[in-house]
Amino acid sequence: MADTSQRPARPGRPGRDPAPTFHDEEKAGRSRLVSLLVETRSIMPSGGATGLPLILAIAAMCFLASLTLGAALSVGHAAAEWTGQLSGAFTVEIKPSPEMKPDKQLSEVMSLLGQTNGIVSARPVTRSETAKLLEPWLGKGNVTDDLPIPQLVDVTIDPASPPDLAALAINVAAVAPGALLDTHRQWQAEIISAAHAVLWLAYAVLGLVAATTTAIVVFATRAGLSANRDVVEVLHLIGARDRFIAREVQHHFLHLGLRGGIAGLALSVLTFVVLSFAGDNGALFLMPVTGLQLTHYPILLAVPIASALVAVLTARITVMRELEHML
Amino acid sequence: MIRFENVGMRYGMGPEVLRDVSFELAPGSFHFLTGPSGAGKTSLLKLMFLAVRPSRGLITMFGQDIATLPRKEMPALRRRIGVVFQEFRLLDHLTTYENVALPLRIQGQPESAWRADVMELLAWVGLGDRIHAKPPTLSGGEKQRAAIARAVVGQPDVLLADEPTGNVDPEMGQRLLRLFVELNRLGTSVLLATHDRSLVEAAGAPELVLKEGGLSIRG
Repeated sequence: MADTSQRPARPGRPGRDPAPTFHDEEKAGRSRLVSLLVETRSIMPSGGATGLPLILAIAAMCFLASLTLGAALSVGHAAAEWTGQLSGAFTVEIKPSPEMKPDKQLSEVMSLLGQTNGIVSARPVTRSETAKLLEPWLGKGNVTDDLPIPQLVDVTIDPASPPDLAALAINVAAVAPGALLDTHRQWQAEIISAAHAVLWLAYAVLGLVAATTTAIVVFATRAGLSANRDVVEVLHLIGARDRFIAREVQHHFLHLGLRGGIAGLALSVLTFVVLSFAGDNGALFLMPVTGLQLTHYPILLAVPIASALVAVLTARITVMRELEHML
Repeated sequence: MIRFENVGMRYGMGPEVLRDVSFELAPGSFHFLTGPSGAGKTSLLKLMFLAVRPSRGLITMFGQDIATLPRKEMPALRRRIGVVFQEFRLLDHLTTYENVALPLRIQGQPESAWRADVMELLAWVGLGDRIHAKPPTLSGGEKQRAAIARAVVGQPDVLLADEPTGNVDPEMGQRLLRLFVELNRLGTSVLLATHDRSLVEAAGAPELVLKEGGLSIRG
């Protein structure tokens, strides 16, 4: 065989302008983020089964996954908030007693609370407020002035250094006969367990959606790759190394995964924003939820990143397996 | 350069499509591969461009036994072989320029190193004004020339072409033949699989004749 470097130059005209290009130089000049999102030119086709349909499938699944993640995050936040509110307060209930006049009972209790460390505020609930609380059971206007109803005192405590509630209960009963402490302990336990149940439900749904999203991204990626099998085979036959082909394919699916993921994320963020405006701290899972906190939004970014990773890994594993079957 | 000794090939558990095929292609040679449809021409070419392994026998390419060659060394060998596929197998989403430049791009050299060469080659095969066109908009003859340009752009030691004049009129067939003869004159070994008797007679080159899986050499 003749030495190829010694061959005479081929006849023909020199390159004309504008010379076509794979845009490699342009790619090098772009910022990393832009080149991640905008695929300039790839050896893999951007249309067909690996183009818009795949992006749409990934976007739809990422939308659902972000919604579920957002819901789980806000339920978690809300549960923590309720627990904090409940454990940060208690009520003193003063029942009428033959041993002491009601006014005296109240003033004794108030002065005791005033002297106790760890109490932020104590506010007697007015008779009309108490009547309102009873209305659902007794009916409007049925709480007459001569009806003996207990006097309530709303107490807020400092969660950082709470008072000794057991000792306080004894002291309250001692200074004012008929007065007792309602620490909401029973309610608190029930609400916390309800909040935990909702939270576990949210996590279960999130797990299910994440698994489904992964499965759909895997199947969509494989479908996309099988549509491009011919491209992979041609590259292989003209002497491309497996590494080169895998890199091209991964790059392609990284773009698709990220684009789909970000579209889905954007849609879900929009949904949360609309919900927070329209639904007045929209109620999710039948419980009042304070909506997604600002600090939660960055966590949602995990969804498109995960979807892109799943797409890239699937593409790599699938194409490497396919190439191994080729000689 | 390429040596087959008692090579047999079957697909899966099917019958042998090639039986005891033995021949050798010398550097700088020019051969035709002929035979009726179904005689095994495409299978023989697939063995030569390393798409499939033989069921038995010995194939030596450029002095290396391909049965014992590690898989990771195959790409380097394939780059020494230019292939014009029967259906061209151009990538429809790439332009003519990008298709032709593909073998150079996969070698990882910067585009600036070979852009001018590719443009020159495109002009040489008469596609200088079709560089931005994509394969679906090319005529049969243009696709064929683009496929040939892609096969030779990496300056392979051997060019294998499966029915390269199958879809073009006799005049274009003769033009393409002149292209192959010119390439051969520049040092590339050429093997053309064809049905076209006029092409074989015009070139007067030796013929590998496949019949019912067996090979004989004529001329």
